[in-house]
Amino acid sequence: MGIKHYAQVYRGFVSTSFTEATSFRLNFLLLIIMDLFFYVSVLATVSFIFDHVETIGPWNRTQLMFFMSFMLVIDHLHMTFVSESFWMLSTHLKTGELDFTLLKPVNSIFSVFFRHVRPSSLCNIFVTWGLLIYYGRQVPLTTLDWVLLPPLILLSFTLLCLIEFIIASSMFWVTEGLGINFLRMQIQQLSRWPDYIYGILSRKILTIALPVLLIGSAPVHFLFDKSRYLPLGGMVIAILGSFVVLRWIWARGLRRYDSASS
Amino acid sequence: MISAKNLTKQFISSKKKPGLLGALESLFYREPVIKNAVESFDLEINQGEMIGLLGPNGAGKTTLMKMFTGIIVPSSGELKILGHEPAQRHKEFRKNIALVMGQKSQLWWDIPAMDSFLLLKRYYEIPELEFKQRVTEMAALLNVESLMNIHVRRLSLGERMKMELMASLLHSPKVIFLDEPTIGLDLVAQENIRQFILDYHRKTHATLIITSHYMADVQALCQRLVLIFDGKKAFDGPLKTFETILGNDKIVSFQFADSLTEDAALFADFSPVYQEDRKGVELKIPLEKLRAVTSEALEKFDITEFNTDKMPIEKVMKTLMTNPQLLKRHSL
Amino acid sequence: MNASALKWWETIQIAWSKYTAYRLNFFLQVLGPAFVFFFIKYNLWSAIYGGDQDILIAGYTFQQMITYHIWAMIVGLIAQGHTALNLAEEIRLGKISTYLIYPFQFWEFHTAHFIAFQWLQVLTSAVTVLLLALMSLLTVPSFALILTGLTYCLFVSVFWFALQYLTGLLGFWLEETWILRVILQIMTGFLSGAIIPLDFYPEKFVQFLNYTPFPYLTYFPIKIFMGEMNQIGSAYGIMAFWIVLLWLANHLIWKKGIRLYTAAGM
Repeated sequence: MGIKHYAQVYRGFVSTSFTEATSFRLNFLLLIIMDLFFYVSVLATVSFIFDHVETIGPWNRTQLMFFMSFMLVIDHLHMTFVSESFWMLSTHLKTGELDFTLLKPVNSIFSVFFRHVRPSSLCNIFVTWGLLIYYGRQVPLTTLDWVLLPPLILLSFTLLCLIEFIIASSMFWVTEGLGINFLRMQIQQLSRWPDYIYGILSRKILTIALPVLLIGSAPVHFLFDKSRYLPLGGMVIAILGSFVVLRWIWARGLRRYDSASS
Repeated sequence: MISAKNLTKQFISSKKKPGLLGALESLFYREPVIKNAVESFDLEINQGEMIGLLGPNGAGKTTLMKMFTGIIVPSSGELKILGHEPAQRHKEFRKNIALVMGQKSQLWWDIPAMDSFLLLKRYYEIPELEFKQRVTEMAALLNVESLMNIHVRRLSLGERMKMELMASLLHSPKVIFLDEPTIGLDLVAQENIRQFILDYHRKTHATLIITSHYMADVQALCQRLVLIFDGKKAFDGPLKTFETILGNDKIVSFQFADSLTEDAALFADFSPVYQEDRKGVELKIPLEKLRAVTSEALEKFDITEFNTDKMPIEKVMKTLMTNPQLLKRHSL
Repeated sequence: MNASALKWWETIQIAWSKYTAYRLNFFLQVLGPAFVFFFIKYNLWSAIYGGDQDILIAGYTFQQMITYHIWAMIVGLIAQGHTALNLAEEIRLGKISTYLIYPFQFWEFHTAHFIAFQWLQVLTSAVTVLLLALMSLLTVPSFALILTGLTYCLFVSVFWFALQYLTGLLGFWLEETWILRVILQIMTGFLSGAIIPLDFYPEKFVQFLNYTPFPYLTYFPIKIFMGEMNQIGSAYGIMAFWIVLLWLANHLIWKKGIRLYTAAGM
């Protein structure tokens, strides 16, 4: 039943997002530039550090650059497909416009978090994937690795989304949801570095309790060393667990929603 | 159809003292304040009815509407609409209802209305043919054919409201909730919207629940009124009954060519209120005596103008809102 | 106090109560990012130095590197903490009309908010420094150094405020100004030495950067706090030049913008 309907609705989301984005052309351009600045600053920072050291933890320059570009690909997917919707949620909760989303005969988690697509960010797809392929060839990845890469990225992106949806759900409990978006971004920041840089305690917490470190570290460790498949299993469990938690917390949130009166 | 029993919604907020000390104190302790926005509300509505839900600001009308549409969850009580419990937000339920809010917009601000409609078509799985037919028909009725491809933020309030109505009716809902649909509109736009709603109801026999502060809306649209005061139901019955709950008296006013030199005996029984220049008087005349008194007055005095109350419900509403204790006396 | 000072004082007080009313927001939006940023950098450099207390990387021992990043956090809080988020929104939603009627002007209102915010930031920074000193992560420098550093940071914050104000004013023409602010933030973070010390950057690149205001925003004040800076005079001169430039730009943009605004009758 559902899949076809949801695919159709999603097509509608994409097409309205395009209509919206193309009517603000300067914004469109600035968003692309913003992303590019971000990519440059991330990669240059790591590169500059490696001008002065041989390794960071167990990884050399190429390996860490590969990790960084892996995370940029995830970030790019995030920017393109979900990030705008988080900011809309905090606004819509404040103004009560969420009412209309809740009225629609579509699952509200879907129509809240996938409502907005950023077409401008989509333009950067060649940059991020180009970087990933460039550093992947330097590592170098095997044929099997290249085959595994896309599904691993999908897995990572799914986990990141679920964790962020859960965090965003807490907006139902606060008067001003904007701050939650900043919290969400900080938690994403933590995942942008490999897990081994963290101390034992923080690494455990950020892998098990709030599994953000699994997002990048689990798949990249696995690509470099196939004996490290366990964290990957942990990632699947984390995805399933997060999904259950999200459904539960979202239902609670909706019960809590008191729809800012007009 | 719609059946509410003992419906209650409580909101909990917190009190805070002003100033820096208050702010510091609120870091540790906030005194909770519980308010019953809607309290033990009973309501039965049948298929095809047009109901006016009236009450002063903050009485609980919007809260009630939001519980009916499943947006907020009742604190207690039973609610069944179209066989569903709205708070469950069943897909079938959501497909059959619509909510129009005069103060909020469901159209996406930065895209043309038509793009929003196309997305709604997907949401509600409306077949292509039906969609086209409905859009054309409604656009013609509302006279907005030329505005469909203009960004919503460029439309006037009246134009936008017409688009909002269209957006809400595309999927032919069986139950439609209209929360102040004419608020802020000019008189012509108000009249257009009213006419459209009436037409729509005649054609579809959908159930309509309307809130409005404009008695003209109520007069034109609703056969039955439900009054809510302070979260509680204060009246539920036909419009005709409501008009007479404060008595069967008609308000009649006369204007005379010359000032009256003394109070007329004819008017004495009807609590006369004279104008300062004594060139006019307002009377409360029981319906059964209206004919007799008027014709006698027309004979006796040089009357230049006379009026009966055009909109008795407006007067009743105003009286009730300023003296809510009257409601208790009338024990509706 | 005269009437004008009273207006300022009242507005500052209102700003304080606003910030404390949304204290969770304040924490998550302003302090949270600074703390998380420091947390990541602390871990990163611990991993890079690998517990070796003696090696020098780009001239820094581990302890010096941590000290650098602690001051980077403090400088970030004081000199670049303020975001004129609501400024563009007020323009876009047409709330600006209120100020055209008020006897208290738009820029005065926002500057008062900035001043209120800076007080909170200095307070938070003081508490942070104290806590880090108690955790013996930081050796507190002399009072004279703290005073010199703080004064310079506050001077830089005026520059930052003027810059934020400028992006806000572009709200007269742009639908969204947050993109510009994020671009500025990314560029500043990268080019001012907030992410890693500028000593890590290629020499030619740093020479080029010295012609831009960026190094004077973070790297210079950090070095002041660390007692390694003696060209404070020229830094003040360069910042003063930029502040005046931005002030002129803001003045012009406001004049143009308000003409557009009133003409469009928004």
